[in-house]
Amino acid sequence: MKIEAREIGKKAGGHVLLRRVSLDVPAGGVSVIIGPNGAGKTTLLRILGLLDQPTSGRIVYDELAADGLNARERTALRGRLGYVFQHPLLLNGTALDNMRYALSMRKRPFEHDRVVSALAAVGLAGKKDLDVRVLSGGEKQRLQLARAMVLDPEVLLADEPTSNLDPLSARFIEDRLTGMARAGKTVILTTHNIFQARLLGDHLFFLKDGEIVQRGTPGQVLQNPATLDVAYFASLANILNGRLVRTPEDVHLIIGETKIHVVSALEEGPVAAVLRPEDILLSRQPFHSSARNILSGRVDAVDDLGMVVLVRVRCSDFSLRAAITRSSLQELGIRPGETVVLTFKASALLVFPAD
Amino acid sequence: MGYFLEGLRQALKILFPPSRDVLEIVGLTMLVSGSATALAAICAAPLGLFLSLVEFRGRRLVVGLLQTAMSIPAVLIGLVVYILVSRRGLLGFFGLLFTPGAMILAQALLAFPIIAALTLAALKGQARDSRDLAYALGASRRRMLWTIIRQGRFAFLTAMVAGFSRVLGETGMTLMVGGNIKGATRVMTTAISLETMKGNFEIGIALGIVLLLAALIVNVVLQLWQGR
Repeated sequence: MKIEAREIGKKAGGHVLLRRVSLDVPAGGVSVIIGPNGAGKTTLLRILGLLDQPTSGRIVYDELAADGLNARERTALRGRLGYVFQHPLLLNGTALDNMRYALSMRKRPFEHDRVVSALAAVGLAGKKDLDVRVLSGGEKQRLQLARAMVLDPEVLLADEPTSNLDPLSARFIEDRLTGMARAGKTVILTTHNIFQARLLGDHLFFLKDGEIVQRGTPGQVLQNPATLDVAYFASLANILNGRLVRTPEDVHLIIGETKIHVVSALEEGPVAAVLRPEDILLSRQPFHSSARNILSGRVDAVDDLGMVVLVRVRCSDFSLRAAITRSSLQELGIRPGETVVLTFKASALLVFPAD
Repeated sequence: MGYFLEGLRQALKILFPPSRDVLEIVGLTMLVSGSATALAAICAAPLGLFLSLVEFRGRRLVVGLLQTAMSIPAVLIGLVVYILVSRRGLLGFFGLLFTPGAMILAQALLAFPIIAALTLAALKGQARDSRDLAYALGASRRRMLWTIIRQGRFAFLTAMVAGFSRVLGETGMTLMVGGNIKGATRVMTTAISLETMKGNFEIGIALGIVLLLAALIVNVVLQLWQGR
């Protein structure tokens, strides 16, 4: 089911939670709404899930406008959506009771075998008769997911479903969500985890202070952050705060005593520049290339991320993190305390006006 | 100390087997306080539920008023009910003064804010969660409300027990509007008060034991059910 939201606004208790949010969620795939805490992710998802009414704007579900529906039609439309809450909402009783309840809400028959296999799909077949109060956080979240899935919704809305879970439980939930998307369902996920967004998302919407500031595939958004907030969120990025100075032939970012070549159309003044670790070349000796920024510094630390290694280098006025592969690290033989050379292009820096 | 032990011995004699007088008093007490609690709960529980679910202008004012009403002295409620049901009062033509009807009315007014405010406090959060849960599973409004009631049944029950305990123990107000007429409006608390003043400790002690037992049983049953 495709969902088109137009100019959604939401006010509550004198606060503006959402201002003119428009987004198109295409049918199928995983659409991720990402943003910092308090951005309005939950508010937006609840409105998309028909749990709350927007103050203004309209939403169309496959040609069906939500604002023109009567109570019965609204209930019917809600029946095509599934919702997973950040904090699992379960009924008192056993896991099986919860499944039975879900089916009875939609007046569907309770077929024991089908329900047990739905529980087995989330690894809870052995715990079907346990009181939900004794289940762990991860198990509760899995039960919530199974309960939503047994109703076979066309759209699954999941509100930070893994934010309180350990990595293994989180992985399990993530796999089920991508599984649903692969089966042709539309999955809408909120998260503040950039890695999760990159891993699962087909479409990304970046929400900040109740507004969508950027949209696109995760690759597009993270490669070319439109605002400093988005750049901050691509949490590995180096952020350099300094002053932009123009000379007739060049543009510089001045940080302390250091002068960095940048490409920017901004006016002179305080700015913040984003430099991705993978855009920095690391070497023992300076070498000639078209890249105009060549700095030297001392290695502070080496953070092992698996295939990729982040090398933290202390330059005279700031620190930078450079990403290199593990094999390059071994080839170069870089250790903390040693001096290295950093090379990067002027165009690798994305310059934003400072806040 | 001696006369207390003697009183206790006499009290047990009255209770086992219970005398007609005692049975009559206990029966009327349960009837009056039970009806009053039920009457109050019919209006107060839905109000508490409504306040826990719906945001509207002036909601905080209503909640504030309810909480204030919880601390209104019972004797004031007694005064108001007396004025209402006395011959010249608004409800005078019913002839309720010094009847169980007046007692039920006064006790229901006393229990109303307690039940409403406690229902609200106990359902806070829980009712909205139940609503979200039901709606997320595609429930209709009717099924959603049913889910809240089922999930929150202990909240309702706890509030009702608190209201019942309060009115069961009320003396001064009940005396004002009921009159403590033997065989007509004499309930446990008013009887204890009267008999103690007359020096008949044994009846006071006997009824005191029944009052304690009643409170104990109601709460134990509630605890057991809840713990299940």
